[in-house]
Amino acid sequence: MRRTLVIVVVLAVALVLAVIYYALDPSSSAVFPHCTFLAVTGYKCPGCGSQRAIHALLHGDVADAFRYNALLLIAIPWIGLCLYAESRRTRNPRLYARLNAPALIWTFLAVVLLWWLLRNIFDW
Amino acid sequence: MQYWINFKGVQSGPVDLDGMKQMGLTSAAYVWHEGLADWVKITQLPELQGCYVMEAPAVATRPAAVNGASEPQQPYQPQSQPYQPQDTPVTEPCPPTNLVWAIIATVLCCLPAGVVAIVYALKVTNKYREGDIEGAKRASETGAWWCIASIVLGIVSMPLSMLIMSPGAF
Repeated sequence: MRRTLVIVVVLAVALVLAVIYYALDPSSSAVFPHCTFLAVTGYKCPGCGSQRAIHALLHGDVADAFRYNALLLIAIPWIGLCLYAESRRTRNPRLYARLNAPALIWTFLAVVLLWWLLRNIFDW
Repeated sequence: MQYWINFKGVQSGPVDLDGMKQMGLTSAAYVWHEGLADWVKITQLPELQGCYVMEAPAVATRPAAVNGASEPQQPYQPQSQPYQPQDTPVTEPCPPTNLVWAIIATVLCCLPAGVVAIVYALKVTNKYREGDIEGAKRASETGAWWCIASIVLGIVSMPLSMLIMSPGAF
């Protein structure tokens, strides 16, 4: 029961956010929050551009989304898969263990750090 | 490949495929080999077909399994694996690594604390594989807090940063 409630609430919030991010463009509208890390340090964080990328994605513009935050685009399929594995952690421990293999986590960590570094050097 | 066998509560091994065929195993046997997280029924490994005969499940199988009589609680500890302490039941599932939340926090929250959470996800898996269940649980908990901190701080700090930055920075 509680699990169903959580899923319903999460889906409802996601739907509301999707409508907002579809209707308003984060690159021109003032209502969207900005990156604290960028504001404080002047450097982009790994998540910078995600709001604009989501806006572009919701409008079907994959190329633009990739330009705003390539990491987000790459991470979305993996997040979906991981969420599925998470929901069946006890029923399907094998899938969970496979997705949480050290080699995979190391790879993701390296990709994130490299992406963080390179996007600040080349202004991606 | 070397296999360890738990058959009718008796553990043996390591043996290879030919050795297993000599043992007169039935489908009630459990096997384990290096790389498996836990004991599996012999019928679950396709390469072992032909090493056992099918056996109709006995009526007493279910309660026996619940009592842990036929299900191995303690797997055979081969000498080649000194990193698995004797008192650690490998049957316990891996504690949550929180990897998904770490990834979501990294990609969607502006404070790079999600990266720390990824490191903790790695720690959970590594400690679990070393047989350190307690350590894995601790790392799992710490990682979860990093995820929560990352998401909460991200949400709280965003309005503050709006005062500093011009629109469209995130």
